[in-house]
This record gives sequence, structure tokens and C-alpha cells, in this order.
Amino acid sequence: MLTRDEAGVVLFTLEVAALATLLIFPLALGAALALARYRGPGKGVLETILSLPLILPPTAVGLVLLEALSRRASLGGWLAARGIEIVFTWKAVVLAMAVMSFPLLVRSARTAFEEVDPRLVGLARTLGCGPAAALFRVTLPLAWRGVLAGTVLAFARALGEFGATVMVAGNIPGRTRTLALAIFHDNQVGRDDRAAVLAGVTAALAFAALWTTELLARRLGRRREE
Amino acid sequence: MIEIRVDVPLAGSELRVEARLPAAVTAVMGPSGAGKTSLLEAIAGLRRRTRGRIACDDVVFLDTERGVAIAPERRRVGYVPQDAGLFPHLTAHGNVRFGAREDERRVETAIDTLDLRPLLPRHPASLSGGEKQRVALARALATSPRILLLDEPLAALDVELKERVLPYLVRIRDEWKVPMLYVTHNVGEALALAGEVLLLRDRRVEAQGRPLDLLSSPGLSVEAEAGIENLLPGRIAGHDAAGGVSRVELEGGIPLSVPLAATRPVGARVMAAIRAEDVLVSSAPVKGLSARNVYEARVEGLERTGVDVTLRCALTAAPSPWLARVTPAAVEALGLKAGQPVWLAPRRSAGRRSDRERDCPGAARGEARRRRRCRAATGTRCAGPPPGRRRDR
Repeated sequence: MLTRDEAGVVLFTLEVAALATLLIFPLALGAALALARYRGPGKGVLETILSLPLILPPTAVGLVLLEALSRRASLGGWLAARGIEIVFTWKAVVLAMAVMSFPLLVRSARTAFEEVDPRLVGLARTLGCGPAAALFRVTLPLAWRGVLAGTVLAFARALGEFGATVMVAGNIPGRTRTLALAIFHDNQVGRDDRAAVLAGVTAALAFAALWTTELLARRLGRRREE
Repeated sequence: MIEIRVDVPLAGSELRVEARLPAAVTAVMGPSGAGKTSLLEAIAGLRRRTRGRIACDDVVFLDTERGVAIAPERRRVGYVPQDAGLFPHLTAHGNVRFGAREDERRVETAIDTLDLRPLLPRHPASLSGGEKQRVALARALATSPRILLLDEPLAALDVELKERVLPYLVRIRDEWKVPMLYVTHNVGEALALAGEVLLLRDRRVEAQGRPLDLLSSPGLSVEAEAGIENLLPGRIAGHDAAGGVSRVELEGGIPLSVPLAATRPVGARVMAAIRAEDVLVSSAPVKGLSARNVYEARVEGLERTGVDVTLRCALTAAPSPWLARVTPAAVEALGLKAGQPVWLAPRRSAGRRSDRERDCPGAARGEARRRRRCRAATGTRCAGPPPGRRRDR
């Protein structure tokens, strides 16, 4: 069974991962929509930049975040002047997770938006919907599968985030230690059995998230065939 | 009255249309790629780079010179695209109500006009082609449109389904009095519905005028081959099960016997479809013919259409003219000329109207192709436009 500390780590990880997912949800959807609709120059460059966190080593992304948020940097200095500390706090964990998960959600949602027939959106307009109403009444309902899948994927990715987190938030027990960090730590100090238990918990959580989504998608999808 | 003077940029070239359309129903015709769909989209406001002026009665939709461009959602056009364009995530009811959520009465009337009650809980995926078109029509009507833009509403349907949907269009024209622009490849539909034809070719207006006057235009005659030219609205007057016929009363009270259609109640609106080549023409009164329906008429005009000659005949008893197609040899043998009295007899099997949709297992899936295969298997003839003409992009 889990020790009290370990249970705290699981709970903390779930909380920050959920918060990170919530944070990127509107931003990623907006970016996905823009990428799906935008046809002008620079689209390829923009897509590549947005996907960079997927292929860079997470520690490199963490380093960039750390540099940007340090007191010496302009952004970090500006925040510090307002009493906002991010580095080596739980906020840094959320930030690292958010940055690493963002491209996953953008990619899934963009594909889903691109699959919505633009003529249906046009039809919604002729039926009296403004651009925003057409988005909420046609585009989103038709793209929800891809959006949901992307959201769960982003959440699962956040659960397992390690490299960027360790750079920008450190590995502070009771403050910034997530499941992924705890597994590493247990292994380093020779508690391989505890590391294995935590790895199992992480796998179970990710599995549960993906599986319930799949079930939900299938059940809701079936209703539409009637 | 619809006034159009637009340039619509398209891939490669641009569509230029200038026209004043006073008729209640205008058929927009022309070969594929002529720009028919693009014209409807421009009127609906879905072609953003359109320049020029579009006005419907007194409402100006677009006037780029004066910087007027009303957003599509405020134009109140009822646009029904070729594939119906139903929202797949909503039921038929949800679709009909989509544009008119406050006005329940209007929605109810649209549902009744198109006989949609039994379909309401179903999703588009389970509707047949004809059912989808009716739902899309109701959805457009429920918004109280200033104008209806119908893009080949019957093209994806085979002949028998057409005969079921056409009466609804006639009903909308006559009862709702909404002006319509009606894209079609089919001369019969244009004759049955439209008071005016706008003929496009190569993204320009080639001709505009009454449907019958344009019949010999090259742009039309090419497309006319496979169609049903005579579409005659009427009502079921009675059934004679022993005799194997149903009696239909056409406009002007003239009777027509068709193969038994006992599933349609007496009084139901139907559309009799008779191909021009299925009308036998005689220069003398006919007796002892197996055809039951013989009508006295007068030749109003002869048009050379391809290798055949199409006769336009005015029936003594009915307001709408009939078209009959004969060979040039027959014209010579009978000495046919304008003004001459003739007797017309549609072949018995030709006057058809039907409910076949539901006899066909594949039909419920709404796939024209599967339906056609099914029809071929059950031995019924299928006459529709050839598949190559369906799409207009």
C-alpha cells in the first residue's frame, strides 16, 4: 500500500496535472482553431514552433523556462517585483506540465477542427449564427472527439512530466515532488520496490483516464447513429 | 425581385453575373462548372471576396461600392446545398429548429408542410436522401427566409424519389410564396417549378428567359437528355385495385391513370412524371389503343433537340404544356407543324408516381449509389442524371 507521503504525492500530481490541463485548454483550442483556419504565409513556421516542446529534450524546455523566470531575466524580475514567486514552487510544476502538454492538445484539436466541413459552418451562418455561435453550436460539437482525446492525452502527458519539472521546480519533498520525480528519487536512494509501486500507480492513472474517455466517446458516438 | 451584379473570384477565373430576376421561382441552369453553386454562395454571403451589388426586394445584401456587406447571419436566406448539409450531431428536429429557436410556430408549420413528424427523433445518418432534403428544406423555411436558394435539391435523388419531393417544392412555392433560386440540370424540374430560367455557361450569363423559350439553347439540350421532361402535379382521385390502376387528377381536372399506388391516400398530392419520349403522338383521334390516357392538344412549337425533335404541345384542357419527343422521320410522316391538332397518349407504364423508397432495403441509408444498385436488382428502371453531373465544383 501507499505510505502517507506517497499518497500525498499522488494527490498533488493529480491536482497540478489537472490544473495545467485546465490552464492550457482555452489557449490550445484557440491556437488549434487559428491554425485550422489560417491559410496565409508563415503557417508552417508557426506550426513548427508550437510543436517544438514535443521534440526538444524536456530538460532543455525546463532550462528555457528557468532562465525566463529567474530574477535576472526581465519576465522573472517583473514578476518578482510584484511578489510572485514561480521557480521551485508548485506553480512551476504547473507551468512545466502546461508547456509540455500544450502541443499535444493543439495537434489533436487542430486535426479535429480541420475535419469539420467548413460548409456546415457557412450554413450555420446563413441560419442566423454569428461566428461565435457557429463555433459553439457547430464546430465544437462536431470536433469534440478530437478535442476530448487531445485533452486526455495532455493530462496523461502532464502526469508523467519529469524533465522540465525537475529543471524549473526542483524535486522538493512535500512541495514540488510529483509521481515521476518520486519514482526517480526512490530509485536513486535504492528503494526500487517503492519506485515500482509508484510506477504502477502512474500507469493505472493514465490507463483509467484514457479508457474512460474511450468508453465515453463510444457511447456518445453511438447515440448519433440513431 | 432579385437584382444581381457581381464578380465572384473563383480558382482560375471569376464568375460574372448581371441579372434581374422578377419571377417567383428562377431556375439556374447550365453545364457543370458554369458557376451555379458559386452564385448561390455569393448571394448567401459565403463568398467573402464577392464584389458588386446584390439586392433582394428592398434589402441590399451587398454593395461594395458603398461599403455595404451584410453578414450571412443577417441576410435571412434559406440555403439548401446539394447534399442537404444537415448537422450530423443533431436530430432532424434539432436541425429544423437550428435557425429559429424562438419561433416554435414557424418550426411546427415547416414540419407539417414537409411531413416530417415521423422523422424528427432521427439523426441524419439514418435518413434517406429524400428525407434529408426535406429536413434541410424545413430548416431553411423555419427561419422565415427572404429568399430560398436551392442547389439541385433533387439531383442526388433518383426519379422515384424526385417525384416524392417535388410536390413539396410546389407546395412551398404556392403556399409560402418565398422567392426561390433553384439550381438544376433537369429541364423537367425547371418547367414544373420555374417561371424563368437563368442559363450560365463558362461563368457568364448565356441567356435568361421563360423555360420553354430556352429549351433549344445548346447549354440546355446537352443536359436535357436523361431527364424527365413532363412533371405534372396532381392529386390521387381514387384507386382501382382490380384494374391495377390509380386515377390521378392533374391540373385542369384532366384524368391520368397510373400503375396502382394504393399506399397513397386519396387526395394526396403526387407528381406524375412522363418522359418526353414516352408520349405517343398521333395526328388523328385515337381509338382502340391500349393506352388509357389520350388527350387532345395542339402543337405550339417544334424544337430540334439533338437528333430528335421536341414538340411543345398545349393541351386543350390543361394549363401546362406537355413535351413530346419524336424522330424527324415521324415529324415528316405526320406532317407535324405548329398549330396542328394532335392527340397525345403517354405510355401506360410511363405515368408513374411511387413510394418505392421504402421497398428498397438500401434506400434507408440514403446512398444514391446503393439505391441505384438495389433498383437495378429489383428490375425497375432508374433514370437520373448521369453520376458525372452531380457535383458542381
